[in-house]
Amino acid sequence: MNRISFYDQIAKNRRSSFFLSVIVFSFLVVLIYVISEIFIPELSLLFLIVSMIMVFLYTYGTYNYGDSIVLAATKAQPIDENDPKYVHLVNVVEGLSIAAGVPKPSIHLIESDEINAFATGKDPQHASIAVTTGLLKNLRRDELEGVIGHELSHIRNYDIRFATLVAVMVGLVAILSNMFLRSMWYAPRGGKRERRGDVGLLVLVGVLLAILSPIIVRLVQFAISRRREFLADASSVELTRYPPGLANALDKIMRINRGDMKVSEAVSHLFFVDPTKSPLDSLYATHPSIEERIRILRAM
Amino acid sequence: MIWLWLVPVVVALIVIGIFVYFMNRVIILSNRVDNAWSQIDVQLKKRADLVPNLVETVKGYAAHEKQAIEMVTKARENMLKASDMKTRAKAENELTQALKTIFALAENYPNLRASENFRLLQEQLEGIENKIAYARQFYNDSVLGFNNTITTIPGSFFAGIVGRSKPREFFEILEAERAPVKVQF
Repeated sequence: MNRISFYDQIAKNRRSSFFLSVIVFSFLVVLIYVISEIFIPELSLLFLIVSMIMVFLYTYGTYNYGDSIVLAATKAQPIDENDPKYVHLVNVVEGLSIAAGVPKPSIHLIESDEINAFATGKDPQHASIAVTTGLLKNLRRDELEGVIGHELSHIRNYDIRFATLVAVMVGLVAILSNMFLRSMWYAPRGGKRERRGDVGLLVLVGVLLAILSPIIVRLVQFAISRRREFLADASSVELTRYPPGLANALDKIMRINRGDMKVSEAVSHLFFVDPTKSPLDSLYATHPSIEERIRILRAM
Repeated sequence: MIWLWLVPVVVALIVIGIFVYFMNRVIILSNRVDNAWSQIDVQLKKRADLVPNLVETVKGYAAHEKQAIEMVTKARENMLKASDMKTRAKAENELTQALKTIFALAENYPNLRASENFRLLQEQLEGIENKIAYARQFYNDSVLGFNNTITTIPGSFFAGIVGRSKPREFFEILEAERAPVKVQF
């Protein structure tokens, strides 16, 4: 039963990643086409072709280098694995990688007092784990094992591929739409009377896209996270065979974390727990509530 | 009616696809079990390599603990020359116990405990001890996955075709390890 669901999850992540790439690809091409149609209608066909090539390269690049972008965006630095300070972290990651049957990921460190961690990469062979300095300082070995086990489950299940694509691709959609919305104020008005009706329609579509995109970001983030987090918690326990470790780690996070990490919203869904707390949390939360995760773990 | 010819072709392709998928599946799972087994070996080898270092360090500070030192050395030798799985598992277990004794004895030698070299060895050996446990866990998980596949339909059918229908053995904890630890003074 367990095995089946874990292979299902990998297949599902591969599928979702593919469809997300196709959707984002089409969305960007349409967006660029609409913009060029408004500003330079004579060249819009050329723009369409150029944009398709560019967006293809972009999609391909994000697929292969998305992890570097995410690591840079969170200011995660690779650790020196021979440094005695990190021996136990390296040992825990190596041990649990053996238990999960994946190659050891590269280990990174984020300067922050918060307790948090994330994993990224395109597949288990190209994966990275990042932990905060606060996590190293506050968690005991069994708690650390619980968190690392959770992240390694994301790696094994290919959650990292989809989540990284969402972070980088959807992040860009949001940025582009923002730019578009702002540029609307500078759009030429009344110059080309003969196409005025068309332009009006295009402006409307453009505005719609721009308004829709943050909602799309939210929806996608919303759709990907919750179930995955529960599954990764369960898989972590399958690896460590010790539910209290992870539960105690979550308990400490509830007491210690203030939720003031300075990370972009586009990457927040990658993290072990939500790095920022906003008033909209309950409505749009990318993470299941910590209380509920603890409750389930305590019942195991 | 050209498309009528297509029907048997498509059906044949689907059947071939199903065969290829399930036969590969059985072989992949079986190879995973072998690989998991060699992962345990890798860790055991690493541990055996660290033992002479540990013995030298302990001799430097607690030379008269001959019995414990000899136990470790002998267990290591037994493990390296063991030929079959049973005697090897026994020797591995002896080595684990002997190492535990050494670390327990070290409590009596503050100089030894304070030595940088000893502390590093201790962390390394503990890390390896964990990795051995995890490697065994992964081995058993792999065996479970393989056995489940080849004993249920349709895997059982295809396992017969590729000649891997024999369930694999789980790694079981020895009786000695299951017993509670005895403390002697």
